Amino acid sequence: MKKKLLCAVLTVAMVSSMLAGCGSTNKTESTDTSKSTEAEGSSADNNTLTVWCWDPAFNMNAMEKAEAIYQKENPDFKLNIVETPWEDVQTKLTTAATSGQLDTLPDILLMQDNAFQKNVISYPDAFTDLTGSAVDYTQFAEGKTGFSTVDGKNYGVPFDNGAVIACYRTDILEQAGYSIDDFTDITFSDYLEKGKVVLEKTGKPLLSCIAGESDVIVMMLQSAGGSFFDESGKANIVNNDILKEVMTTYQKMVEAGVLVEVNDWDQYIATINNGTVASAVNGCWIMASVQGAQDQAGKWDITNMPRLDSAATATNYANQGGSSWAVTSNCKNVDLATDFLSKTFAGSTELYDQILETGAVATYLPAGDSDAYGKTNDFFSGKPVYSKIVEYAGKIPACGTGVYFYEARDAVATAITNIIGGSDINTELQTAEDTVNFTMGQ
Amino acid sequence: MNGRKKKITLAKKHNLTGWAFLVPATLLIVVMSFLPMIKAFVLSLKTGIGVTMKWAGFLNYIRMFKDTVFMQALKNNFIYLIIQVPIMLILALILASMLNNKDLKFKGFFRTAIFLPCATSLVSYAIIFRSLFAVDGLVNTILIKFGFLHTGYNFLGHATSARIIIIIALIWRWTGYNMVFYLSGLQNIDYSVYEAAKIDGASPFQTFWKITAPLLKPTILLTTIMSTNGTLQLFDESVNLTNGGPANATITMSHYIYNTSFKYVPNFGYSAAMSYLILILVAVLAFVQMRVGDKRD
Repeated sequence: MKKKLLCAVLTVAMVSSMLAGCGSTNKTESTDTSKSTEAEGSSADNNTLTVWCWDPAFNMNAMEKAEAIYQKENPDFKLNIVETPWEDVQTKLTTAATSGQLDTLPDILLMQDNAFQKNVISYPDAFTDLTGSAVDYTQFAEGKTGFSTVDGKNYGVPFDNGAVIACYRTDILEQAGYSIDDFTDITFSDYLEKGKVVLEKTGKPLLSCIAGESDVIVMMLQSAGGSFFDESGKANIVNNDILKEVMTTYQKMVEAGVLVEVNDWDQYIATINNGTVASAVNGCWIMASVQGAQDQAGKWDITNMPRLDSAATATNYANQGGSSWAVTSNCKNVDLATDFLSKTFAGSTELYDQILETGAVATYLPAGDSDAYGKTNDFFSGKPVYSKIVEYAGKIPACGTGVYFYEARDAVATAITNIIGGSDINTELQTAEDTVNFTMGQ
Repeated sequence: MNGRKKKITLAKKHNLTGWAFLVPATLLIVVMSFLPMIKAFVLSLKTGIGVTMKWAGFLNYIRMFKDTVFMQALKNNFIYLIIQVPIMLILALILASMLNNKDLKFKGFFRTAIFLPCATSLVSYAIIFRSLFAVDGLVNTILIKFGFLHTGYNFLGHATSARIIIIIALIWRWTGYNMVFYLSGLQNIDYSVYEAAKIDGASPFQTFWKITAPLLKPTILLTTIMSTNGTLQLFDESVNLTNGGPANATITMSHYIYNTSFKYVPNFGYSAAMSYLILILVAVLAFVQMRVGDKRD
């Protein structure tokens, strides 16, 4: 009997301790959430904003500088900047929006331009419409604001520039008898012909890119204002003359050996830094990586990218990458957030001057007129490269990426891999369009 | 107080005690595991973008069979399954019986060396394999040095070679893991059986096929089911080693499910439906393997 009693007592003790455990877990959980709302969620007090962005040397630094500038007028203002890698921003946003727990979101978050429309359309309740707010959108290039515009409404404040630049190794070009001017304002057929000469005389291909990623294709397409989708949002791949020209040009460049495909990002950067290739065409943020090879200082120069030959709308300018600030619907103090953004990222040339050396070239057009942008860069042959980039940025044609951008991008990447492998271009484009239409027809 | 207790019979009392012990664990499993499974199934009957979902019945399940990318992924998974699992298991069995040899020196060292790949992180080993087989990677450098190739071959840029590399990577990573199961199975086989075989003049090959393999049958069945399950859920290698490429030649079902939920415009209903197909496939294959392999009745 005693034993049984002991058993019973022990059982009761165990169960109650478990219950107590649960109870106290609940308690700690609730304190945890209240803590994490402070740390992660939007800020409750009137003068603090919480921000998610990902790069301490780049966009976090920019936010800190912006905070300091805004504090001059509003001494009580405070930012709570939380380092959150982009993949985590996307996952947290997805989790918060699908579970309806929008109060876990910060006031402001940084969003990749390519993912902007997708997220706004998938989670319309998660973002604040900034149209008609204090942010003056006429001060930004149309090509940039287009990324964060859905149904004519602006949801984002543009941040860093993704204007495409072409960086050339002038010493290699010289060996082939060319100068940077021979590669300025040229067409892709010029590029191909000159590339063949460079390859023949120096043994170096002009360009490298990652196989299976359609970065180069997207740049070429957007330089002529082209898109994978038509204005009504339908997939436009098979009957897209611009895209067809892009695909054949790309194929010719690969077949001539002027364009080499590598398998991942590290190898891509290695081809640039090891001098395997003579040029790099990418968003202007590539400058940071190009400058990674300090022994090549002074051997690089920057100009605009080649344009398509036959497309009527062809230009030498495009956008690649870049990001924008979004205000979430969880922001309790929208006025403060928009006022802050309009006076810093959409209104302060001083801010852009301060962050220029980290490689953050402004999309805010007036910033390009400032003295800091006139500075020269010794790595790039002592030329005033920043003002050049701002000038390019103003000329980028507007083109919608569409909601299904990533689907289309992957489908076209599959198509180009097969085309280079010898498949027929029309069949492959048809397959790509079918794939995109399939994903859209859900 | 005692009067009330007496109404319950002893058997009932024992039963109740048993249940009391079971309840906490059962509740936890139900809440943490079964409830999400049911919710996922309900989700798989809906369709839509992000949070705007509507009922679709079994449309998602019909839809996936028209999805060329998913069908390609399914095919890839079965290529890995049919080629990689048998090679790996036979290799593991051979290694295990070699290492089980009583006279072998440095047994511990060899066992650790073969098991060690299992302790590496999935992501890092995939990245190491990717750089090994890069155009200017170690493998190409060696092949060029010894005159087999003139220029580097883009192993990951061609469908067949990319698949072979994933299979090689999987074999490297998982053979040791399965070998450990076989080793522990072999410890349970009495050594006198082998002695008897030796006295009867059985060759090593005969010993292996007539004694080791049959006695290890339950372990072999276990590893087969586990490997099948693991291969059908393959994710890290596809994402990190080849990124599904070239042209979706190496993409796996789990990788595609990840894409449809996080990379593309999110359609969680469709993703959940595809996950359920994997569950069904694993269940069916495990059932077939049990039927074929388990002859205990």
